[in-house]
Amino acid sequence: MKLTPAVLEINLSEVEDRIKRFIKGYVEINGFKGIVIGLSGGVDSSTIAALSCKAIGSKKVTGLILPEEETYNNIDIDDAKIVANQLKIKVEIHDLSECLSSFYKNIPLFDNRDKVTKGNIKARMRMIYLYYYANRFNKLVCGSSDKSETMIGYFTKWGDGGADILPIMDLYKTQVRRLAIHLGIPKKLALKPSSPNLWINQSAEKELDMKYEILDLVLYGLEHMMTVEEVSSNLDITKSLVLKIKKRILSSEHKRRMPLTTKIGFRTIGSDFRI
Amino acid sequence: MSSSLGNKKNNLEKINSLANRARKKGADIVIFPELCLTGYNMRDRSYELAETIPGPSVKIIEKISKETNTHIIFGMPEVSNKAKATIFNTAVIVSPKGYLGKYRKMYLPTHSVFEEKRYFRPGYQANVFNTEFGKIGLSICYDIYFPEIYRLLRLKGAEILVCISASPTIRKNYFKILSTARALENTAFLAYVNLVGLDKNLQFSGGSRFVSPSGDIIAEAKEHEEELIICEFDVNDIKPLEAFIPVWKDLRPELFHQLIQLSEEF
Repeated sequence: MKLTPAVLEINLSEVEDRIKRFIKGYVEINGFKGIVIGLSGGVDSSTIAALSCKAIGSKKVTGLILPEEETYNNIDIDDAKIVANQLKIKVEIHDLSECLSSFYKNIPLFDNRDKVTKGNIKARMRMIYLYYYANRFNKLVCGSSDKSETMIGYFTKWGDGGADILPIMDLYKTQVRRLAIHLGIPKKLALKPSSPNLWINQSAEKELDMKYEILDLVLYGLEHMMTVEEVSSNLDITKSLVLKIKKRILSSEHKRRMPLTTKIGFRTIGSDFRI
Repeated sequence: MSSSLGNKKNNLEKINSLANRARKKGADIVIFPELCLTGYNMRDRSYELAETIPGPSVKIIEKISKETNTHIIFGMPEVSNKAKATIFNTAVIVSPKGYLGKYRKMYLPTHSVFEEKRYFRPGYQANVFNTEFGKIGLSICYDIYFPEIYRLLRLKGAEILVCISASPTIRKNYFKILSTARALENTAFLAYVNLVGLDKNLQFSGGSRFVSPSGDIIAEAKEHEEELIICEFDVNDIKPLEAFIPVWKDLRPELFHQLIQLSEEF
C-alpha cells in the first residue's frame, strides 16, 4: 500500500449521513432531550456542532463556550460564536477563571509551574460544566475527539475525553477538516491549526513535531498493520519518528478503556463482563 | 426491520404487525432478519435471552403464522435442549401448520466488531425445507461469504436460498455482490433480509433484496429505513435458466476432494 493523501479520502456525503444517523439514533434510543457541546472555535467542535444540528435540529443543541483567562483568545471565541450563529444554536459563554482559581488555591501541593497537570484541570473543569448542563436538562455530552488525537492519546483522560458519544472519533484530523468544509464550516476555521488550549501557545503539531498531513498517514499505515519500517520508507521519514508515534499509541492505551482491576470474580467488569 | 435490543415483547409485536401487513399485500412467505427477536448486540445477555426451539417465542410465531396463513422465517438466539449455556445463532422456519425447522449458523464471524464465536456454537448442517412454494434453504449473514454452503443447499434441492442477516453499513457492498453471486452461481432465487437501525455503535443498513436465479434484482428495499417489500416468484422459472447457465450439468465433483485436502493444509 502506498501512503498518499488519497488513502485518506472519504465519501463526505456518506460519512456525513452515517454520523448523523448515529447521533440521531443514539439520542432517540436513549431518550435524551438533546445534546450539549463544548465549542472551542476549533474544527473538531465546529464539525460536531454542525453534524448534531443536522441530525437532531439546532433547537436541541446547546453550545458552551468555556474560556479561561490564561488561554483567553478572542479569535477562538469569535470563531465559536460564528459557528453557533451560523448553525442557529443556543450558546452560553462561561468564564472558568474563578472556578479554576479557587481550585488551584485549594489543592494542596498545587504547582503552577507544572503546565500539564494544570492544563488537565482545565480540561476536566470543562467536562464538569458540560456534564452539569447535560444532567440538568437530560441531554447528552457530545465530545469532539478525532481519531488522530485519540490514537496518540492527545487528550485529557476524563477531560475532553469524557463524553457520552464521540461521533468523529473514527475520522482522522485531515478528514475532519474536509468534512467541516463540506458541512459549510468556514474554510479559515476548518484549516486553522489545532490546539487543546490548555496553556498559552499550545500547538498540537509543534508538540508532536509533525503536521497532521503526515501524522495521519503514519497513523493510517499503523492502523492498517504496516510495520514501522514500511511506514518510514513509504513516507520517507525516519524510523525513530514513526516509532515515537507508535510508542505514543501504545503508552496511551490506558486512556481509551475502563480502568483496570485484577480478575477475581466470575465475570469482571472491563474484561469479560460484557453487557 | 429494526429490533429493540433485548426487548422480545416489542420485537414480537413488530413481527406480528409486519406479518399482518405483508399478508394484506398478498405475501405467502414473510422473512425477518438475523436475531430480530432480540437484536444483534446482546453480548453476555445472549445467555438469558436465548430460548429453546420450539419455545415460547416460537409458539408466538406459530400463532402469527397460523393467523396470517403465512410461512415465517426469522432469527433468534437458541439455547440447546441438552446444555443450558450452549447457544446458537439460529434461523427458524414456521408454517401455518406449525414449526417446520431451523438452521444453526455455521460460520460465526469473530473479527472486527463481531464476536459471535465467543457466544455461539456453530451449526453443522445445511437444512432445506419443503413448502408448497418451493424448497427453501436457510443461511445466515457471514455464511454468504462461503459458497460451499449454498452449493450444499442447492444440492439438497433448495430452490429458494434465504440469507437472513445483521450486516453493518460498512459491509453493505460485499452483501450486494455476494447475494447476486450466490443466486447466479447456483441458479436459485435468493432472499437477503437485513436488519436496519442502530445497535450501540453498529449501524445496520437494511437494503434487503430478492435476487433471481440469473442474478437480477427482483425487489430491493431502501437502505437505512424500515421497509416491507413484496415480490412474486415461481420456482418453475429456474428450469430455463438452468439450461441457459448449466452450472449443475457442468459441476466437477472431483474438485471438492482437492478443496478438502488443500483447505486442511492451511
